[in-house]
Amino acid sequence: MSGVRDQASGSVRIGGRVQSLVVALGAVLLVLFLVAPLATLVGAGGAEGLAALFGDAELRASLLLTAATATAATFLGVLGGTPLAHLLARRRFRGRALLAAVIDLPLLVPHPVAGIALLLVLGRDSAVGGALLAAGVRLIGSPLGIVSAMLLVSAPIYVSAAREAFARVDPRYEYVARTLGDSPARVFRRVTLPLALRGLLSAGVVMWARAVSEFGAIVVLTYNPKVASVLSYDRFTSAGLPGALPVAAVLVLLSLAPLTVLRALHAPHETRLER
Amino acid sequence: MIEACGLSASVGTFSLHDVTFTVPAGGYGVAIGPAGAGKTTLLETIAGLVSPRTGTLRLNGRDVRGVPPEHRGVGFVYQHGYLFPHLTVAENVAYGAASEATSSEMTQRLEVEPLLGRDVRSLSGGERQLVALARALARRPAILLLDEPFAALDARRRDRVRREVQAIHRDSALTVLHVTHDFAEAGMLGDVAILLDQGRVLQEGVPEQLFRRPASPWVAEFLGAENVFAGVVRVLGDTPASGTGTDAGALEVEFRTGTLVIHGLAVVPDGPANAVIRAEEILVSREEQTSSARNRFRGRITESSTVGALTRLTIDVDGTPVVAAITARSARELDLAVGDNAFASFKAMAVHFC
Repeated sequence: MSGVRDQASGSVRIGGRVQSLVVALGAVLLVLFLVAPLATLVGAGGAEGLAALFGDAELRASLLLTAATATAATFLGVLGGTPLAHLLARRRFRGRALLAAVIDLPLLVPHPVAGIALLLVLGRDSAVGGALLAAGVRLIGSPLGIVSAMLLVSAPIYVSAAREAFARVDPRYEYVARTLGDSPARVFRRVTLPLALRGLLSAGVVMWARAVSEFGAIVVLTYNPKVASVLSYDRFTSAGLPGALPVAAVLVLLSLAPLTVLRALHAPHETRLER
Repeated sequence: MIEACGLSASVGTFSLHDVTFTVPAGGYGVAIGPAGAGKTTLLETIAGLVSPRTGTLRLNGRDVRGVPPEHRGVGFVYQHGYLFPHLTVAENVAYGAASEATSSEMTQRLEVEPLLGRDVRSLSGGERQLVALARALARRPAILLLDEPFAALDARRRDRVRREVQAIHRDSALTVLHVTHDFAEAGMLGDVAILLDQGRVLQEGVPEQLFRRPASPWVAEFLGAENVFAGVVRVLGDTPASGTGTDAGALEVEFRTGTLVIHGLAVVPDGPANAVIRAEEILVSREEQTSSARNRFRGRITESSTVGALTRLTIDVDGTPVVAAITARSARELDLAVGDNAFASFKAMAVHFC
C-alpha cells in the first residue's frame, strides 16, 4: 500500500519537474528571441555608433531632434491627456466607453495609416493645414509635423496609463479632503495628483519612449528633417546594413534610459517575499 | 441637527430607500445595522458626497440640497481613517484645521502628539483612527459623521477615546451621527438610534426603546434577543392597563407558540404575532416558586455557557428552547448543570409583542 503511495507521489514529482522544465524552456526561448536581435545589433554597431556621436553631425542633430520633438509631444499629451484621464477614471457619463474607445483607436490602426489620416487633416490642402500655412505655420515637413505624428500615436498610451493611475487612487481620500474644506480643484491639486503622481510619471515616460521609437506616422508627414528612426531607415536604404548599424545601435542604447527611469519609478512598489 | 426626510440615494447597485430620521441639535445619533445595511452610504449622503435622488436633508435647519461637501460644516471619519499617505501625521491633522490652536487642542485631547512626526504608513490601525478623528475635529465641524471609528482600537484605548469623543461632543455642542454594528456601543453613546437594513430604516428611537420594544422579530434578533417566538395572540381581558407608560392601554393576552402558552400585555389584536422575551428578564429556580410572575415553566437545562460574570442557560420547555441569562454566581449557588430540571419564570410585562 505504502509502495503504491510512494510510486504515486514519485510520478507527481516527475510530472511537476517536467512541467517546470517546459515552462522554463518556453520563458528562456522567448527572452532569447526578444534580446538576441537587439544585443547582436548593439554588439555589431554599438561601439561604432557611440564613436559616431562625436563625428557624425547628422546623427547628433537627428538624436537631438528626436528627443526635442518627443519631449514636446509628451508635454502636449500630458497637458491635454491628464484632465481627460481623470474624467474617464472618475466620472460616469453617457458615451464614456465610446470616448475611451475613440482615444485608443490610433493604437490599433497601422501607424502609416494614422500618418495618412493626419495628413488629410493637417496637410496644406486641408482647412486646418491651409489656415495654419496662411498664418505662417508649416506642419508638414517640419518638426511640428513630427510632434503631431508622435502625439497621435503615443498620447493614447499616456491617457490609458494615466486613467489607470487615477483609478488606483481610492476616491475616499478625495471625499475626506472635500469634507475638510477643499473644492474639487483643490482636492485634485492637494490629494489626487500627489497620490497618482508616480503612475502619471510612469505614463509620461512610456509615452516619451513610444514617441522616440515612432516611424510609420512620422515618415508620412515629415521625412526631413530626419528623426533617429527615419535616419536609420534612410541609412539602411542608401548605405545598406553597415550604414544603418551605428544609428540603430545608438537608438537601442538610448532607449535604455526611459526603461531605467521606469524601473526606478516602480522599484519602491515592488513587493518582496519575506521568509 | 440632522433631519432626513424620505431620503433615497444610489451608489452602484446599492440604494437607500425613503430614509427618515432626526438627530436633535447637539444630540448623539447612532446608526446600527449589519454589513451592507447602507450605513456608510447614509453618512456619505449627509456629507454631500453622494447625491440623493429624492427627499430632503436639513443640517442645523438649513436645506443642504445642492450645497457641496466643503460648505456643509460636516466632519467625516471613515473606518479606515483614509489618512493622506503623502503627508505626515502633523500635516494630516492640520489639513483642514480651523486654526493651529484647534489642531493642537485635538492632538492633545486624543493623545496624538507622540505620532505627529511619523509617516502615516507606519501607524497601526488604531493610531490611524485617532489621527483621522483629530483631523476631522480640528476643523471644528458643526456635525460629525463617524463610520465605525473605534473598530480598530484595542479595548482599553476604545473606552478612553469613546469617553473623549463624548466629552468633545458635550463641550462643543456637536451633533454626531455614529455608525456602528455594536449595539452595546450604541446604547452607551446614543440619544437616538437608527436601525438600518438593506438601505431602509427599520426602527428609530431611543436605544433603550429599540432594545426593549423591537418593531419586528428581525430587529429583536439583530439586537440580541434570544427568545423570539412566532405564534398566535388571543385577547383575554377587556380592561386596558392604565397609566402613561409603554404598556398604557394594553390588554391582557394569551400567546400560544407550540405547546407553550405565554401571558402578556399587548395592544395587538387577535391573530398571528411574535413574542420577544429578553434572556435577562427570565428568572431561574430549582423549585417552582410562588410569585407575581404570570409565566412559569418547568423544563430541562440543555445548554449552559459562562462568559465573564454571566451564565446563559437554555431550558427546553416541551420542545421549545427558552434562554435565560443569570449571574455566574447565581448559577453556582443554584448548582445548575446540563440535564437538571429547572423552572423559568417571567412577568407578563416582560413579554413584548411585535
